Amino acid sequence: MDKLLKILSELKPGVDFEHETDLVGKGILDSLSIVMLAGEIADEFDVTVSPLDVVPENFRSAETILALIRKLQDE
Amino acid sequence: MAYNSFAYLVVFLGAAFLCYTIAPMRMKHSVLLVFSYLFYFLNSRMLVLFQLFTTLTVYYAGIFMNRIDDGARLAKPTLPAEAKSGYRNVIKWQKRGVMLICVLLNVGILVFLKYYNFLSLSLDALMSALHLPTFFPQFDWLKLPAGISFYTLQASGYVIDVYRGKYRASERLGKVALFLVFFPQVVEGPIGRFDELGEQLYEGHPFDYKRDAFALQLILWGLFKKMVLADRANPFVDEVFGNYTAYSGAMTALGALVYTLQIYADFSGVIDIVTGSAELFGVRLAKNFDRPFFSHTVSEFWRRWHMTLGSWLRDYVFYPISLSRWSQKLGRRAREKLGEFLGGALTMSVALFAVWMTMGVWHGVGWKYTAYGLYYFLIVLAGTLLEPVNRFISAKTGLNRESRGFKAWQILRTFLLVTVGMMLFRADTVGAFFHMFRSLFGGSQMDVLLDGRAFSHGMDQSDLLILALGAVLLLVVGLLQEKHPDLREALAEKPTAFRWTVYFALILALVIFGAYGGAYRAVDPIYGRF
Repeated sequence: MDKLLKILSELKPGVDFEHETDLVGKGILDSLSIVMLAGEIADEFDVTVSPLDVVPENFRSAETILALIRKLQDE
Repeated sequence: MAYNSFAYLVVFLGAAFLCYTIAPMRMKHSVLLVFSYLFYFLNSRMLVLFQLFTTLTVYYAGIFMNRIDDGARLAKPTLPAEAKSGYRNVIKWQKRGVMLICVLLNVGILVFLKYYNFLSLSLDALMSALHLPTFFPQFDWLKLPAGISFYTLQASGYVIDVYRGKYRASERLGKVALFLVFFPQVVEGPIGRFDELGEQLYEGHPFDYKRDAFALQLILWGLFKKMVLADRANPFVDEVFGNYTAYSGAMTALGALVYTLQIYADFSGVIDIVTGSAELFGVRLAKNFDRPFFSHTVSEFWRRWHMTLGSWLRDYVFYPISLSRWSQKLGRRAREKLGEFLGGALTMSVALFAVWMTMGVWHGVGWKYTAYGLYYFLIVLAGTLLEPVNRFISAKTGLNRESRGFKAWQILRTFLLVTVGMMLFRADTVGAFFHMFRSLFGGSQMDVLLDGRAFSHGMDQSDLLILALGAVLLLVVGLLQEKHPDLREALAEKPTAFRWTVYFALILALVIFGAYGGAYRAVDPIYGRF
């Protein structure tokens, strides 16, 4: 989670990713930032994010993003 | 048969609603299908064959992919562990082949019908310039089936979703057919997704007074926008853009502003009419507009204007390109060489370029539309690249980017950028646009505006007053929607006298101020020619 929080805060400084639960709804993460994020987490966690994974539910909060990463690591 | 015509609203929609309401539940989808094909035939005659071709190819591609999946499911347990990964790849490539053939075939038809003449003319011009013999014949008989730009995207989305495993292809031909030809949305969208729309269309919905009353209110509101505002604006816009060399400064600016109002009122008005039409049958179409002129950035604007096109391009062009293996590899190398931010932004610009070019050319044939796409690509790219610079400046100057003043500035800036984009979209050519843009800073023509001469160019004082009041009304409704996202629900809770005053006011406005009769010509929906 720490690695993920570091990536997120470098991508969008000044956002409280630990507690924010509506990243997509509030426009904090849009399609451009999601793609940049996908690249970073692919490097850091050695997973591949596909277009099917890019749904709002998976990027709602740091928790849901971590859950997606774990799911992709299991595949 | 335009959506804002008497023939459609009273005769056709009325008959469809009546037949749908009295038909038994299991026959309701057949009623919709029959009326949809009738509507399509009335609009496009024998070109309905193209619709049928797309429906059949998409349906059978889906079935084929289902069979491949079913075969794989049976075969996999029998395979040794080391062969499973290779087998998965084979299955993926088989399905990919089916999907690509289907999509390329249908998109190919769209490209040929829509762009062949323009492309061949341009290529021949190039050949002439190189002193080579011209090669490509022109086919003047090429005609566009109604809504081909919309239903082709919808069909492609379905096939790609099935390929990705988002859902299984439907085994019912009628369901797929209705999804592609449903008459309220076939001409100008919204571009639907099968998992949201397929079942809704197919299952029957019984008569519901409240739902149908809401539907009629939405149709009324859409008609108001289209006929009182959009069609009234048309003669002046035609004049300023048609004789652009005669205008400059305030007149050109007014022309651009009025056109922005026209296209918004026209497109969102027709979308309201078709959304209300679908609602009469219990079908909820996807939202296509979300008060776009309240946007703070151009990117946000395109998430709130023609939303279904934006989300289609995001899901079927932007993500596949930007998340692909080669793009991710390019991104890794770019981030190593140019740093995290610049590397990431530049890699993404490849996918962004594809999206905006597609968006531009989808809108029409000609270099102007390519320029239109390029205009927004450059703005969005600049916005992304300048973000750290903006943050730095704000930090140094103490500028509060969350303040109301700053947000208001962002809304104004976005509005101006979009209006310039609309000017390009409406201008005859790229050259005409540049002339008009330069002339904004030339002779002000404020005198033409102030002494009344402006009011003999397709728009008199009462027209301008109605348009201005209309724009204010749209703004007020937009602001109300911030508090009450479902205004019809909020209105339904008001006292009867208030509600019926609003309804009658709209109907009266339509009857008295609707732009029809001798001085006006019936204006086809702007987006109905795609």
